[in-house]
Order: sequence, then structure tokens, then C-alpha cells
Amino acid sequence: MSAQAEAQRLLPRPLLAVFTVLLCAMVLVPLAYIVLASLNSDVGVASGEFWPSSFTAESYTKIWTTADLSTGIVNSLIVCAVTAVASALLGTTTAYVLVRYTFFGRLTILRGLVGLQSIPGTLMLLPVFVLFSSAGNYLGLTVIGTRWGLFVAYLTFALPFSTWVMVTYLRGLPRELEEAARTEGASTITILWRIIIPLSLPAIVVSGIFAFLLGWNDVLFASVLTRPETHTAAVALSFFGSAQEGGALPVYSQMMAAALICAAPVVILYLVFQRYLVGGLTAGGVK
Amino acid sequence: MASRKKVSELQRPLWLLTPGGLLMTLIILIPLLLAIWISFIDLDQYTLRRWVEAPFIGIGNYVESFESGLPKSIWLSVSFAVLSTAVTVPIGIAAALVTQNAYRGRALVRAVFLIPYVLPSFVVASVWRTMLQPDGIVNETLGLGSTLWLSGSNSYWTLVLVEIWAAWPFIYLMALAGLQSVDNEVHEASAVDGTTWWPKLTRVILPYLRGPVLLACLLATLNHINNFTLPFVLFGAPAPDDVNVMPMLVYVTSFQGLRFGLSAAMAVLSLVLIAIPLYAYLRAVRLDVDK
Repeated sequence: MSAQAEAQRLLPRPLLAVFTVLLCAMVLVPLAYIVLASLNSDVGVASGEFWPSSFTAESYTKIWTTADLSTGIVNSLIVCAVTAVASALLGTTTAYVLVRYTFFGRLTILRGLVGLQSIPGTLMLLPVFVLFSSAGNYLGLTVIGTRWGLFVAYLTFALPFSTWVMVTYLRGLPRELEEAARTEGASTITILWRIIIPLSLPAIVVSGIFAFLLGWNDVLFASVLTRPETHTAAVALSFFGSAQEGGALPVYSQMMAAALICAAPVVILYLVFQRYLVGGLTAGGVK
Repeated sequence: MASRKKVSELQRPLWLLTPGGLLMTLIILIPLLLAIWISFIDLDQYTLRRWVEAPFIGIGNYVESFESGLPKSIWLSVSFAVLSTAVTVPIGIAAALVTQNAYRGRALVRAVFLIPYVLPSFVVASVWRTMLQPDGIVNETLGLGSTLWLSGSNSYWTLVLVEIWAAWPFIYLMALAGLQSVDNEVHEASAVDGTTWWPKLTRVILPYLRGPVLLACLLATLNHINNFTLPFVLFGAPAPDDVNVMPMLVYVTSFQGLRFGLSAAMAVLSLVLIAIPLYAYLRAVRLDVDK
């Protein structure tokens, strides 16, 4: 080990080893059980086995008929993908104006964007629910139980979030290119389309992914605003979890398989975009 | 230079704000104002579809909410949030400290530390709910017979423990960002001075973490208070008395009790509850380019 690395050492070696092992165990022991249980049979899990007496992937095939997971996953994918695209695009144009121009009320909007991420979801859901359920009466529209209703509801959180992610990125972008283009006579649309969007593509993707995850991870809005045909994956899994208790034979193995299936898209997104996503998480806040 | 600035100010393309701004007004601002209005009217399942005509009852809902479990829920939410934050801070900092120095396999350890954070909250709650069943693996392994984790007085500790399991990586990430801002000269100076690890850690390194970790604490506390998914999926609705935190109370009052006016008053009061950490957080976040 080089002298420089030795100087940077923060903890004595034994302490470092103990902490690392403890923290990893805290994460990996439950995780190992979840994976092992999903590869076990329902009978095996019910009898309390940690290590399966025989490995089988049958839970991963059975679960599609036991729980209505496929409908949920398809609905989640559709609603969240549309939310992601819409909030990333709208967020980018809104953030561009917020970063580059000063006008009355700008700081209030910026503060609102940050504040909105921390207001209770229930406070937002209540009026949305009231508006949606009275839409049938006042406008002759059915909104509750539809995918587009859920999409609108998700925008209430995704749009401010995506906009804020874009604000933190765009304020670090130098102005010189835009100013050069403007002296050449380029319009604002051209500048946005030809300069800003290509330059900030990674950030746009990140803001879209965050919007997608907000939707994918939501239970609150989906549990109220969907009916069985439009259930999201999160609602399907939660209802499956509470429905099986008290039954003759609990299907814990299938439960674990279903949970891992629901986590898979998120884990894959993180694996692919890890560097950008983890950076984006902390970039927003630190002064 | 001055004239160019003037021109660009004249040409501010504020119309670009219209799609986003209009949409946010429509789907965020108006509903929020409506929520405040609802808290002053007697809205239930009968008046729901014609809420415009629902009777105005002033602060009636606010008065009633204090008689229907709100004080206990506030106490549960606050204690749950503060306790979770207090426990996750040392864990998160320790995790950041052990991954600061490079060693073989560090990337893998860092990936492991991110797992609880990456997993969706409803997945975490579902798997813990399964593991904590009376006949589940936790009781089996610890030899606790059929201890009830998901109902009764244990449920509060279940909620705290699962939240801690899921939330510490956030503190870890923020602490790691703080650690990376420590200059190499600082390490070298400590090495030259022959400072041993403990004084170096407490006097030199930890002060660097104060800013980011305090910010993380504020945000984490807000997230704990607002966490609906974890209690909802772990315990179901209505929740046991000991985990009837604010979001659960509001949810059950509105979507099971169908007392929308009453629950709106509770939701507005929960906004008052988070106003203090939220205000501090908004002060700490860098809003603008120039500051």
C-alpha cells in the first residue's frame, strides 16, 4: 500500500473489517434468504428452511397464475414510461427558462419545486381524488380506474422532480454556446433543440428515470386510483401479500419470487445507469 | 455587454414556461388550494360527487381531528422519524468511512450498500412482511416461537427497524459525498503530525461531514414522516394502533372512513408538522446559480 493511501486511511484495519462485514451481513443475510426462498418450494419455505432441500424455479412460473402480476407489470410499465417521457421533456424546457432568465416569481417557483418533493402524498391525493371522482358528475368523464388518470396523478410528483433535476444540471452548463448561436441569429427553439437537449441528454435521461421510479414505487396513488384491470405492479404485490395470510398453506416462496420480479426493472435501471443515478441523488442537495 | 444583456432580457422566451407552468398550476397548485378548501367543508361519501355544494363548517374538521386520534399519530410519526434518523446516521457514516479507502472488492461492497436503497419500498415491505409472519423465518431463526411482529406493541419497533434497514444508505451516500470533498492535503497534514485515527476522525474528518449529513438528516426525517408505503404494505389498512402514523391516519380516514373533509384537515395539519424541517431544508438547499 502506498504512503498516500496509508495517509488517507480513516479507520484501523481490524475495525474496518468488522464494520464492513457487519454492514454487508445486515444487507445480504435477508437478501440471501429472499433469493433462496424464491428458489424453494412453498412447502419448503413454510416448514422453515433457510437453505432449500431442493432447488426449483417453479415459484417463478406459478406466480403468474396465482397473482395478477402480469397485468400489473404491463400497467406500471405503460403509465410510468409515459410519465417519464412527459415529465422529462416538459421539465427540460421549464428548467431552461428558470435557469437562464430572471423574472418575477422565479425564486418562488424554484422553492416550490424543492418543497413539493417533501409534502405528504396524502395531501396531494385527497384533492386529486375528489376532482377525479366529481369529473364524472361535472364533466361526464370517468377518470378513476383509468391509466391516464393515474398518469396525471403521477405528474403531480414527477413533473416538479424532473424539473428540479434539470435545473441542477442546466445551471452548470456554460452559456457561451447559446450566446454564440444567438448572435448567429438562432431562435430559442433552435437553441433548445440543437444545443441544450443534445448537451443535457444524460441529465434528461436521469430525470426521466427518476420520474419512472417515482411511479413504479408508488402504492398510495395507485391503491386508490386504480381498479383490478388497471392495477400497477406495486398494488398487485401488496394485495397479494395481504390476501394470502390466513390461508391453508401460505405461498411465501411465490411471494418472494413476485417481490424479486417487481424489483427487477428497478435494479436493472440502476445497474445500467448507476453512475448517473447515484450522482444525481446527491447533486441536488449539497450546497 | 450591457446592451446585449438588455436585448436578451427583452427577448425572454417566457412563453416556454407555459406548457410546464400551466400543467403544474392545473395539477398541483389548484389541487393544493382545493385541499385547504376541503378541510373547511363537510365532505363525505354522500357529498363527494357534488363537492361544490358541500356545507362549509369552518374549523369544525380541525377541532374534530384533535379528538379522533391525531395527537397520538403526530407523536408516533415524529418519534418514528426522529428515531429512524438518529439510528441511520451512525450506520451511514460508518459505511461511508469503510468504503472511503480503496481496496480490492470495494466496488462490490459499495454495490451491496446500495441494495436496500435501490429496492422499491413496496418490495422491501412485502418481503419483510413475509419474513416477520408468526411462522416466518425470523421467528424460526431466532427461536422466538410465534412472536407477533406485525400487530400489537411490537409493530412500532418492526416499523422502525425495517425503515432503518431501508433508509441508512441515503445517509451513507450523502456522507460519502462529504468525505470526497476532503482534500488530500488534510490527510497528509494529519499523517505528518502523526495524528492517530480517532482524533483525526473526530477533529479533522467529521467536521467536513457536518454540512452534508445535516442536510441528509433533514431530508431523511421528512421522508420518514411522509412514508406511507412502508406502514401500509407491512401492516395493511387500518394499521394497528401503535403504527397509526400520520399518512396512515389520513388514508384510513379518507378512503375507508370516507370522511374527506376531516382527513383533509388532518393532512393540512401534517403539512404544518413538517413545515419546520421543510423550512430548514429549503434554506439549506442551493436554489440559484449565483449564490
